[in-house]
Amino acid sequence: MAGTIGNLGLFFSLVLNVVLLLLLIQRIRQTNFGNLKIIELLNNGVFLSLLISFLILIYCFIISDFSNVAVYQNSHTAKPLIYKISGAWGNHEGSMVLFVLILSFFSFVFLRTKVVDKLKIYTIFFQSILIFIFLIFLLLTSNPFDQIDPKPLQGLGLNPILQDPLLAIHPPFLYFGYVGFSLVFSFALAGLLTNNLDKSWSKIANFWIILPWSLLTIGIGLGSFWAYYELGWGGYWFWDPVENASLMPWLAATALLHSNLVSFKKDKLHSWTALLAIFTFIMSLLGTFLVRSGVLNSVHAFANDPHRGLYILSVILLVTFYSLVIFIIKSPKQNTHKNYPFFQKDNFILINNCFLVFFLSVVLVGTIYPIILDAVSGQSISVGPIYYHSILTPFLFIFLFFMSHGPLLSWNKQDKFPQIRNVKIFFFISIILTSIIIFWFFDYKNIILILGLFFSLYLIISVIFDFVLNKKLIKLHLGRLISHLGFGILIFSIFINAYLSKEINLAMKVGDEVKIENFIIKFKSINKVKKQNYEEVFGNFLVKNNGKLVELSPSIRKYDQPVQLTSETSIKNNFFVDYYFAINLSDFEKDKIMIRFYYKPMMFWIWFSILLIAFGGMYQSFRLTNEKQI
Amino acid sequence: MKNKYRITILGVTIIIIFILFLSVLNSNKVYQPSQMLGKKIPEFVLDNLFNKNLKLNSKNLSEKEFAVLNIWASWCIPCRIEHPFLMDLKNKYQIEIIGINYKDDDNNAKEFLKKYSNPFSSIGIDKNGEAAIQLGAFGVPETYVLKNGKIIFKHIGPINADVVIKIIELRGK
Repeated sequence: MAGTIGNLGLFFSLVLNVVLLLLLIQRIRQTNFGNLKIIELLNNGVFLSLLISFLILIYCFIISDFSNVAVYQNSHTAKPLIYKISGAWGNHEGSMVLFVLILSFFSFVFLRTKVVDKLKIYTIFFQSILIFIFLIFLLLTSNPFDQIDPKPLQGLGLNPILQDPLLAIHPPFLYFGYVGFSLVFSFALAGLLTNNLDKSWSKIANFWIILPWSLLTIGIGLGSFWAYYELGWGGYWFWDPVENASLMPWLAATALLHSNLVSFKKDKLHSWTALLAIFTFIMSLLGTFLVRSGVLNSVHAFANDPHRGLYILSVILLVTFYSLVIFIIKSPKQNTHKNYPFFQKDNFILINNCFLVFFLSVVLVGTIYPIILDAVSGQSISVGPIYYHSILTPFLFIFLFFMSHGPLLSWNKQDKFPQIRNVKIFFFISIILTSIIIFWFFDYKNIILILGLFFSLYLIISVIFDFVLNKKLIKLHLGRLISHLGFGILIFSIFINAYLSKEINLAMKVGDEVKIENFIIKFKSINKVKKQNYEEVFGNFLVKNNGKLVELSPSIRKYDQPVQLTSETSIKNNFFVDYYFAINLSDFEKDKIMIRFYYKPMMFWIWFSILLIAFGGMYQSFRLTNEKQI
Repeated sequence: MKNKYRITILGVTIIIIFILFLSVLNSNKVYQPSQMLGKKIPEFVLDNLFNKNLKLNSKNLSEKEFAVLNIWASWCIPCRIEHPFLMDLKNKYQIEIIGINYKDDDNNAKEFLKKYSNPFSSIGIDKNGEAAIQLGAFGVPETYVLKNGKIIFKHIGPINADVVIKIIELRGK
């Protein structure tokens, strides 16, 4: 019953959406851009009926209605309520409803903002086309309300590893991020077609770029945080294709938000900004294709429809083709060669735009190439961290250098000399700090590590310098300062973490004391705790590190119905170091157990800096909209 | 003129990308389950888990008067829940159960049977899940009752005491 209403909601939104599209086509043909009442009404209708469908889907998960295929395959009566609810978007069908809902949410909000009517109508037109395309996809190949007969008594989905509060909120953030880029995509096409790519376009676009960008930043951060705490491998980024799929739109959007700033301030680079807006959304779609089509591994892709992948592929390529055709025909041809002094803010931004595009290409190639090679020649190659690290790192240093100086330059005049002074100051302070850190903490000297610390400190110092310099105008720059500071801390922490992390694997029995490097690990005792549906065996360990004592109690849980073992990590952290302990599930040696101990510095700062980056973005997204034009 | 040239290049690039990704999609076979209740058992031939020379041929199954077909895997948690009921069907009620081992590792599957004991008279290996798809399965476990080669009953998810009774009733008819 509920399923039928949900289905009707989807159909109804499709019908309203088609009517809306026809109306918009008519308006555009007649160049009649006044009176948006009826357009708003239809648009609200689409949004509301999608919202109702989505709520009904959540309801089906809450009441464990197993006659619904999506519920049967992804839920279980024994799931806690929060995971029943999050189960609604934790699977392909449900997350596609969320996808379309967010598309429509963005046009819903956009219609309520102050924009020239003509631009508004074109933007809603493109946004509605996207909604149409994905609604059809949803109804034809991924209907979340498909019924199952006979109705099963119990559901299949109870994967303990996915039952984590972080995973409940991670997908919505990610979706608001990369589906959110659809709006600036539509807005760019609208700007191109109506020849309205100008300063005021950039001013409005700023909000629609930075807000999704900030949400995507948080989404990626949450995913990484989950991998670190739950997977028990001690890592936080694996260059896995699914991770890369979210990183690619982020890189494109980072380039976009900066070039849009140049467009806004200097009334140039409009074509480039529009092109980046198009590519950012295409990267989002590509991510959707990679994750949804079963092209990547598919251990659980059981009832996967072959038409799904084909449909998304065709959609992406058609969207890419048409949007680029619009770009080719309509992009404003400006003479950008007129006056380009080197020491000017826009020039530095442009240079870093090139780097970002380069980073994006490296990730894109590393993600796509192995998949295509495997399909075409049957040859499988593995592209791992070494590929990314060795190609990206040297350029990252130059990137950090330009990032440090760009914000200190003027938009309008060539100011070479203050910069040379700045370089001297930053260089001097960073070299001192780097030397102190290297000699204090590291036994060996590695050039990459030294450069990494040096350039990230260089950036941090430049931000502090900038902060002091701009004290009076702090409100204007706060968002940027916070984000840039966050990025500096992130890179600094990543380098420290990469070179100071320790992993120790040991077989131990109770009473053992082992000394490895600076650590003395003592296996004190074992104790058992009986809980309602599992028995938990704790190993109590004492770690001594340079006089510091840390107690850790990792455990193994033995669930009785069904019989399943899970390993629970034990993490003790302070601001600077995580001590991380896990017991291996396999490899039991007689009376000994295998343990893994990780020493992970700076983890707190990695998470904190990601929050800073996102927070700075959010602040700035609301800021520029209120700023006067120069 | 210049634009025409650019658009052509764009179009050609897009077509090349399409073909490349299409080959990726095709190399990755995925299917949609179909409704098989009341129909004849589809044709498939699978390797036997314990003896690669023996085959599990669905044609032989259709010659049987009454049999139960169970799709299972060692990694599937609900399969462990239903396992005692499968043992009951075999030991208490002498019903022949044929297993289809779905997307599993052979050694894990053997280990599983060693640990929980083996209710199956023979087991076919369905490495890439094609037989399961032909049978119209949604997931593992899934159980089918065959009478003279026709699927007369299907249960989705782990079976329980009620389903055991139902199967006994079906045999009696």
